[in-house]
Amino acid sequence: MSDQRNQERFGAAIDHDEEAVVIIGSGAGGGTVAYELTRRGIPCVVLEAGAWLQPEDYENDEWAAFNQMAWLDNRTTSGTWRITKDFPNLPAWIVKAVGGSTTHWSGATPRFKEYEFKTRTYYGDLDGANLLDWPIDLAELAPYYDLAEQAIGSTHRHGRPALPANNNYKVFANGAERVGYKHYATGPYGTNAEPYDGRPASVQDGFNFQGDKSTAKWSTAVREVPRAVATGKCDLRAHSQAVQITHDKQGKVDGVLYLDKAGALHRQKARIVCVAGNSIESPRLLLMSASAQHPDGLANSSGQVGRNYMRHTTGSVYARFDEKVHMYRGETMAGIVADEARHDTSRGFAGGYYMETLSLGVPFMAAFVEPGSWGREFTELLDAYDRTAGMWVVGEDMPQETNRVTLNTGAKDQWGLPVPNVHFDDHPNDVAMREHGYQRADLLYEAVGAVGTHHTPPYPATHNLGTNRMSERPEDGVVDRWGQAHDVPGLFVSDGSQMTTGAAANPTLTIVALAIRQAEHIADEMGKGSL
Amino acid sequence: MPDPTPNDAKDLKPALVRLLRAAFPHPSFPDGPFERCADKILAELDEDLWHRLALEHGLDTLEQLDLDTEDDEAAEKLLREIEDAEFFVFVRSVAVTTLYDDHEVWELLGYEGASFDKGGYLETFNDLDWLPDPRIEEYDGPDRLVEVAEHDLPAGHTTNA
Repeated sequence: MSDQRNQERFGAAIDHDEEAVVIIGSGAGGGTVAYELTRRGIPCVVLEAGAWLQPEDYENDEWAAFNQMAWLDNRTTSGTWRITKDFPNLPAWIVKAVGGSTTHWSGATPRFKEYEFKTRTYYGDLDGANLLDWPIDLAELAPYYDLAEQAIGSTHRHGRPALPANNNYKVFANGAERVGYKHYATGPYGTNAEPYDGRPASVQDGFNFQGDKSTAKWSTAVREVPRAVATGKCDLRAHSQAVQITHDKQGKVDGVLYLDKAGALHRQKARIVCVAGNSIESPRLLLMSASAQHPDGLANSSGQVGRNYMRHTTGSVYARFDEKVHMYRGETMAGIVADEARHDTSRGFAGGYYMETLSLGVPFMAAFVEPGSWGREFTELLDAYDRTAGMWVVGEDMPQETNRVTLNTGAKDQWGLPVPNVHFDDHPNDVAMREHGYQRADLLYEAVGAVGTHHTPPYPATHNLGTNRMSERPEDGVVDRWGQAHDVPGLFVSDGSQMTTGAAANPTLTIVALAIRQAEHIADEMGKGSL
Repeated sequence: MPDPTPNDAKDLKPALVRLLRAAFPHPSFPDGPFERCADKILAELDEDLWHRLALEHGLDTLEQLDLDTEDDEAAEKLLREIEDAEFFVFVRSVAVTTLYDDHEVWELLGYEGASFDKGGYLETFNDLDWLPDPRIEEYDGPDRLVEVAEHDLPAGHTTNA
């Protein structure tokens, strides 16, 4: 165990009275903004709720890792989604640690497509969906996608080689070929196939969700955060949970209140605040920051803070074979089929989805393959474990105003603060897409001899998006094209909650691209004296 | 001499192991994993009076129903009828995270767990030989992915850029 786990401050101390850029969260968004600003010489305070786990701290054991890394603070759920029954206090499976959920991510890095920035235009007025075109498009983001792929080290991009096929991919890709899919490969994927950027090649050790002991997988905990600290401009405070953002008489942000490890309250003065606590904590923090000028929550004059919560339309399919597979060996998600990632309503739904290889170890297979199940129908799934191949269906879900994060003042967290409640109902489009994905996955696996398949319902969400969305007009969303709040100068949202719509792609690459672009904008505006 | 308390009077473990075997029937499993799982459940009772009361009474009444773990189907049929009973829900909730976290169970099911200290799975991650080796590069043939179907192009969009 590293001593660093209990350490609370890293890097160069910044005085609490110095008006710094204060970044809340150190994951894909916050960690990236911190590095991009500090390398330009701009002092940043990073407030991270969790510890800085080092590679040797990571547990290659599913429950031990879950209990070490997962965000387990109390949360509540409501709505018709099955999570309210199976995991009522665990709507999302994300991380509380330096590096945030990049320590947990698998690594798939597809880009959003052009039409996915314009869903209101392409999908039309879908009943119950609060669709909106993004204020930016693919062309504007493309150069930042290039930078993000270089930062992450995506395979198959910019001359980097592909990862080799593991056993789960062999089943997946052969099935894809036999049903006529063409757009399959082992990436793009954010884990090194060969040494890159000072980190080694994958040793195919099979643990991705649990932090990567080898550091072959990119995360902000192994790249952006240590580099930010090395600039001498970053004051990283671990075990520090932001609880309120304050503003001055003119309405400009001026500070952040946060709790240290012992629960003592501190105030850090701020010139700019970047909120990057993931799509449940970020709106929660804005709602907890209500003031006389912002009675419904900070930056919430549109009423959209916390709304349009998206979690991707997902489902897993586990297929059983007569022969051995050993799906858990090797890179968990180094296998992508992109043929269904398109907009074609003749399939019965708008938007598209990816198929991606996925495996769980025995402990999580038991917990998640069919929550609540028991008896022979359950144990035969486990008895076939080493003859099982798995995939994840992950596609765009519809933003709905009623799917939202609110403060549940009837329940308190360990600090005595109101917990976030996450309300979610599937949109009919989500249901149709999931069902299509299950059927296509069945066909794919049957084409290579599956003797049975099981449709696993969505897990607690790893992709949480949209609760502080970007919009051209202030009345339609929370932040503008740069992620700055429409109604609070100096307040930025830097995580996936700024996404106007969720697209089909795994979101990390896009969060990083948006963060690189946002940091460049902040640095430019600070240089001009306009921020 | 005072009367023994009910929980001292009865060893719950044999009945609990029978219940676990019936609820999670794995023909290949010996008793060891189920016994360890039962120990974990019983240990949790020390801090949970409600579950202790529910489980003691539940197991007691289950014995009266004569749970036959030699006949999986009959046992499961009987248990389906008490599926929502508090004690049985509690037993399953602990069992599903305990039984399958047992390393003997991992071995029985063919799961090897951590590999990093052994250099990863470099020797075996691609040992599947009953299918041909597939392409790992992205497709570079003539069939472009049509991102938006012709019939879904918005008015004014005539090309599928």
